[in-house]
Amino acid sequence: MPKNLLGLFLVLPALAVVVLLFVVPLGASVVGAFVTGDGYGLGNFTKAFELYTSDVIFTVVIVSLSTVLIGLFSVAIGGYLTLGENPRAVAILRWLYRWPLFIPFIVVGQVLRTFLAKNGLMNNVLVAGGIITPLQAISFLDWRGIVIAFVWKQTPFVTLLVAGAMASVDRGTIEAARNLGASRLRILIEILVPQVAATLTVGLVLSFVTMMSVLSVPLMINAQSPTMLTADIAFRINAYGDYGVANALGLISLGVTACVAWFYLRHSMKEKT
Amino acid sequence: MREDDFLSITDLSAGYGATRVFDALNLGIGRGEFVALLGSSGCGKTTLLRSIAGFVQPSAGRITVAGRDVTALPPDRRGMALVFQSYALWPHMTVAQNIGYGLKLKGLPRAEIARRVGELEDLLGLAGLGQRKPLALSGGQRQRVALGRALAIDPQILLLDEPLSNLDARIRLKVRHDITALQKRLGITAVHVTHDREEAMVMADRIVIMNAGRIAQQGTPQEVYNRPASPFVAAFMGAENMLELSGSVGAGQVMIDAGPDNCRAVLSLDGRTLTNGAFEVRFRAEAAELLDDGPRGETLTDALELAGHVEAASYPGGAWRHSVRVGQSELLVDAPRPFERGAAVRVRIPAEKLFLFNADVASRPQTNSLHVGHKAHVLEASET
Repeated sequence: MPKNLLGLFLVLPALAVVVLLFVVPLGASVVGAFVTGDGYGLGNFTKAFELYTSDVIFTVVIVSLSTVLIGLFSVAIGGYLTLGENPRAVAILRWLYRWPLFIPFIVVGQVLRTFLAKNGLMNNVLVAGGIITPLQAISFLDWRGIVIAFVWKQTPFVTLLVAGAMASVDRGTIEAARNLGASRLRILIEILVPQVAATLTVGLVLSFVTMMSVLSVPLMINAQSPTMLTADIAFRINAYGDYGVANALGLISLGVTACVAWFYLRHSMKEKT
Repeated sequence: MREDDFLSITDLSAGYGATRVFDALNLGIGRGEFVALLGSSGCGKTTLLRSIAGFVQPSAGRITVAGRDVTALPPDRRGMALVFQSYALWPHMTVAQNIGYGLKLKGLPRAEIARRVGELEDLLGLAGLGQRKPLALSGGQRQRVALGRALAIDPQILLLDEPLSNLDARIRLKVRHDITALQKRLGITAVHVTHDREEAMVMADRIVIMNAGRIAQQGTPQEVYNRPASPFVAAFMGAENMLELSGSVGAGQVMIDAGPDNCRAVLSLDGRTLTNGAFEVRFRAEAAELLDDGPRGETLTDALELAGHVEAASYPGGAWRHSVRVGQSELLVDAPRPFERGAAVRVRIPAEKLFLFNADVASRPQTNSLHVGHKAHVLEASET
């Protein structure tokens, strides 16, 4: 048995990290969501839905819309990188598109706040260029700002995955379609995207989960109601020390991401059969 | 170049970046002809095929189909369909969708596409597999789907890029026959790229042997097999046994001088282009006869005999294959019965199976000598 014990001993540090830093806190917050003033119950959830139903919907809509846009942009960029016929344009795009990957969400929030504000850089440029008058200038620091921030930050990540998958697609399948007369757009939609669909879905699911958990962007760009669940959770804890409702909201977020994960799993199971 | 060429390639040059793959290449292919481009890896045969298909833009030269210049046209406007080495089937589409995609792109009504796909499935022995995905097919079936996809658009010219190299040896033999039978039945013009000599021999009406971006020789399978125009072609067509002997030419005859391992031999010149001096002698293992050692005569007519001894024997099937040492050379010779190891033997090669070239030709750049042979054989080929 010493061999088995040695194996267990070697696994122990990793196991301890997983249990202490992941399983226990998750379990604690799941249990915490059901702890009310008088024992266990659904009180936290009732309260959470009473106060934050619109925020739940807002969050789901914002993140879903961002996911769709990220998908479109990443397919467009990946498609151009794979099918583009101007080598210089392809090289420039390949060099450019990754930059937002290295910029943290909080910096993205800060950058876009100065860019999208009513008297921000974007409107200043538009006014200076005579495209709009100062009176027409509007602030984008609301739901649109959040979507722009998410898409700007997450598109490179999904593109990185999608472009990699597209590059490893058999070039013959593209040439065969060209040989039969398919336009580049048709090749992208009918030949390339279906072949990288699994990778695209993984990228989008990961992006969805990431966006669900971002606190800095909604706090910095959208300081109004409705807002995203992460901001509500922070508010419950910071302002009220109300861990019960915060945990309930966390569990609702988890439910939303679990739906997406289930979608993905069902899809990938179907692919295999 | 012949006037009635259906597909003609004139002074074509192409390459990748700074590397020139071939330069000022000329080739004519008749309507309904099955031409095999044969050569080893890197000889330029695939690049030539891809230039014809429109996937490689040539740096100079012209490609015409029935008199129409297609050099600058995109791949789909040339009336050609390419079958890829990897088949390049679309894994997310069913067999029927794969075959019908070209028709869908042409905007044909759905019923018409279904009818045409059904016809092709029957023709190619794919009936009942229409709803399968390519991953659920065998190699031979995938190959036929790729063929069906190419044929669906009714191309004038079918281009085949080593379509059999991914198949099992046994299936390959059958598919070879299937493709040629189909090609003859449809009367389609076909250009087939391969590095497999036997495949080219069995399938093609004409073989174009390529070496280092040049056409080394072209002609019917019999011509390139029996009358190789250069040492390269002879070696590529299986005449791997090589000796250097000296001799002279005169009065329609070749005299091979007596040497340490051979007596004098007088052969008829038989159209060979030779000059006095050192000869490179080539022949196939199965072309020679292995005899017991005997008294050496003065002069031998219409055959060459070499004295040597057996180093090893093996049985690859059909005949015994012997490794025979003759002087410094090691030759492979077939015989119906095995000879003892170490036995002294004579290797007898009949004149018509002996390939003779001037030895200095091999070391010179190959253009000059090749063109002599090339021209002669183009004339012969055009008469067939």
